[in-house]
Amino acid sequence: MSTSSTPSRQARLSGLFRNGALSTPVLAVLFVGFLLVPLVLGEFWIHVANEILILGLFALSFNLIYGYMGQISFGHAAFFGLGAYGTAILFREFTGGTGEIGYFQFFAALLTGVPVAAAGAVVVGYFCVRLTGIYFAILSLAFGELLFFIIFSWYGFTGGDDGIQRLLPPPFFRSEVPYYYLSLAVVAASAAIIWRITESPFGYVLRAMRDNQQRTRFLGINVRLYMWLNFVIAGTFAGVAGALWGPYTRSVAPVLLGWQESGIAVFMTLIGGSGFFAGPFVGSIVYTFIQAWVTGFTVYWPLTIGVIILAIVLFAPGGLLGALDAAIARLRGGESGSDLEAGSGPEPAE
Amino acid sequence: MTKKILDVTGLNKHFGGIYATQDLDFEMAKGAQEAIIGPNGAGKSTFFNLLTGYHRPESGTVVFDGVDVTNWAPHRVAHIGMSRAFQISNIFGRLSVRHNVRTAVHAQTDRAMNIFGRADRIGRERTQEILELCGLADKADTLAGKLSQGDKKKLELAIALGGEPKLLLLDEPTAGMSREETQETMALVDGLNADLGLSILFTEHDMAVVFNHARRVTLLHRGEIIVQGTPEEVRGNETAQQIYLGELQ
Amino acid sequence: MSLEPNFLFTQLLAGLSRAMILFLLSSGLSLIFGVMNILNFAHATFWLFGGYLTYSLFQALGGEGILMLVLAIILGSAAMAVFGFVCERLLIRRMYDRELPEQLLLTFALVLIFGDLIKIIWGVEDRAVFLGIEPLQMFDTFVNPYYFVIITVGVAVAAGLWWFLQRSHYGKIVRAAVYNRDMVSALGIRIPLIYAGVFALGVGIAAFAAGVFLPLMPMALGVDISIIVECFAVVVIGGFGSILGTFVASILVGVVYAFSVLFWPDGALAVVFLIVILVLIWRPWGLFGTEMRF
Repeated sequence: MSTSSTPSRQARLSGLFRNGALSTPVLAVLFVGFLLVPLVLGEFWIHVANEILILGLFALSFNLIYGYMGQISFGHAAFFGLGAYGTAILFREFTGGTGEIGYFQFFAALLTGVPVAAAGAVVVGYFCVRLTGIYFAILSLAFGELLFFIIFSWYGFTGGDDGIQRLLPPPFFRSEVPYYYLSLAVVAASAAIIWRITESPFGYVLRAMRDNQQRTRFLGINVRLYMWLNFVIAGTFAGVAGALWGPYTRSVAPVLLGWQESGIAVFMTLIGGSGFFAGPFVGSIVYTFIQAWVTGFTVYWPLTIGVIILAIVLFAPGGLLGALDAAIARLRGGESGSDLEAGSGPEPAE
Repeated sequence: MTKKILDVTGLNKHFGGIYATQDLDFEMAKGAQEAIIGPNGAGKSTFFNLLTGYHRPESGTVVFDGVDVTNWAPHRVAHIGMSRAFQISNIFGRLSVRHNVRTAVHAQTDRAMNIFGRADRIGRERTQEILELCGLADKADTLAGKLSQGDKKKLELAIALGGEPKLLLLDEPTAGMSREETQETMALVDGLNADLGLSILFTEHDMAVVFNHARRVTLLHRGEIIVQGTPEEVRGNETAQQIYLGELQ
Repeated sequence: MSLEPNFLFTQLLAGLSRAMILFLLSSGLSLIFGVMNILNFAHATFWLFGGYLTYSLFQALGGEGILMLVLAIILGSAAMAVFGFVCERLLIRRMYDRELPEQLLLTFALVLIFGDLIKIIWGVEDRAVFLGIEPLQMFDTFVNPYYFVIITVGVAVAAGLWWFLQRSHYGKIVRAAVYNRDMVSALGIRIPLIYAGVFALGVGIAAFAAGVFLPLMPMALGVDISIIVECFAVVVIGGFGSILGTFVASILVGVVYAFSVLFWPDGALAVVFLIVILVLIWRPWGLFGTEMRF
């Protein structure tokens, strides 16, 4: 984030990339790009782009808690996994293991994952929002691992360590392109809703709680209630992503709820920049590509991602978009910043 | 309708054996503008904490505008009109000045839970009003964390106003300000009291401010009220003088 | 699985031993957090690294005998303490004025990096040490006497740490730094050195713990992750900054884990988590911590 400030460089927002408007053009470019992928690239890349979209939504939901509300959750994947399992279990009930699911049932299954994740977030969130900082982080981790163990151990219902296999979408959605556009539609719609939420009064209360939780209380805000609501919203959208994930990879496994999966959302957000709405999506792209590339020639992926995280935390804590924003600010002589604190788009003239 | 904005009776609070307030009784009329003074450690901040729900008293009651708010959570107390500006500026550093005030406005108008509205369209006029009132309109888009100390205090006040309070509690409102800024700020405070009828209770160490802007002064020492009256009465009081001189040794 | 007293006794010993390891690690964790406000996610990874290092030193010294093991442990701990000192100077110190999430992420990155470094240096196989100690007969059953060694060592270190912090000159400085960093600095004592020293001490103790545990438990990849989570549990349950709390909580967690493994092998950790959840809900500052506002 910006460091300068002589009074002469005061904050009149000006120029094309005003404080906070970095995400809008980035998102526009990304959206067009994602739309065009199947027309320009082959099946393999469509599959990769599909993964980027789904995990990007997962990371975006994580950033609601991290970037906007200022808490770090190490158990966010629990809701991703709950969404995946909610969908998968209904799949299994409908198909009885034969693998053939009807269209109506398919969409019903997809929809089911969402309330399952939401319910999980309601319960877990109820306890987590009573704490902040390191305690919030540890409690969220503990709940995440607890849910992982429950899924892992409940062999009869969830398939335990084996997971649930043969999640075949109905014929039309079995090929890459149609499922890809389904994902794109869902992810884009979700992102639009989340965007709306972040630019609402509620969204700004989140930022206020991030900056100064105590003061927010003194404004008359029931902080716990707001944190809980945000936690549930974030968990719900993680569940949406999870619901899409199962049929995409044709199976679900308990590891989807674990801390490693939670870590993915964290890494993506960090790489892209937690201070920007589009950060998690940018991070998803970069992370997915780097991982695919690196695991192609070495088994030491943890070392690689560890070094990357180290470098970012030490030298570019604002992530890629943060660095881009700072560079643009230098060129234009204005202030850099992030849309998380200044809002994007022009303030309407009086 | 009650005429008293504040009616505190028998307020007791101790921390590990040390009494911060002892059986404190305090009344304040609506529309009053008063000051609480006392040496450091006298219990002024604790008193504010007790009023606003940040601390729970061991015994006693706090009645605000006819409502018993003893043991209420801070956000509820703030919500019914008791607003506080802090001594050390307690603002939202990564939000712009405008957004700082706007959030306070949203919080009070019950629109804060609105998750689909457009934040930049709600409460716009009121936010602008407050910004202009507090002399922050030209800095509205600055990051709050980058303001000068004096401006931060102004923002502190502006945030407290966002809540459309009936009672404004100001914790050393002019601390760290230049003479000019002090005059500006206290002129604003006077205006809020005279034009808008806001009840104002402030603590201060700057005696000039107290004498020029408080119609009644309460001297607190070791959690008890020693003297209460007009500024002249308190100034002339022997016990008061002893306390201040004694503390200065 | 029987519930005979002999069997329970063995499990108790196992639990207490594990508790000692948890205590040694958690006290380092708690100390670092108390003094520097850094939660070192990588603490158990330092522990694991120290274990592998001590193993190699032991082999280099001949691979036999208690004496050589002791020597290897001493050398290994010292080496790791230096390593910890260097890490603090190079990396950790940059995190002091940063937000908590960034601190967590940095130390988590170290977990990933060191974890793979271990893999690169030592490969994927477990490393264990066999001392060939004769089992001791107690109460109708045979017990590995090494359990008692560990328990004794653990208690000794606990006492030593307590003495250091409560009675010694340097210990008092460290404690003062926890309460009022600026004041200590104003007294002319160099804070950066204290931080580096405390970090090194924590890492050294961790490595020591690994070395001591070698004859009982093989060093294996991935163990650091489950151990660090247990350490978090201990520190949360006991309360940050309280040695006594850490000690009591270690015993609680160690014993609970050892007995849970009997009933629910995969879920022993889940039981620990359940306790963490309960503590965080009911008394977030821990059993012995100082009450904090949230």
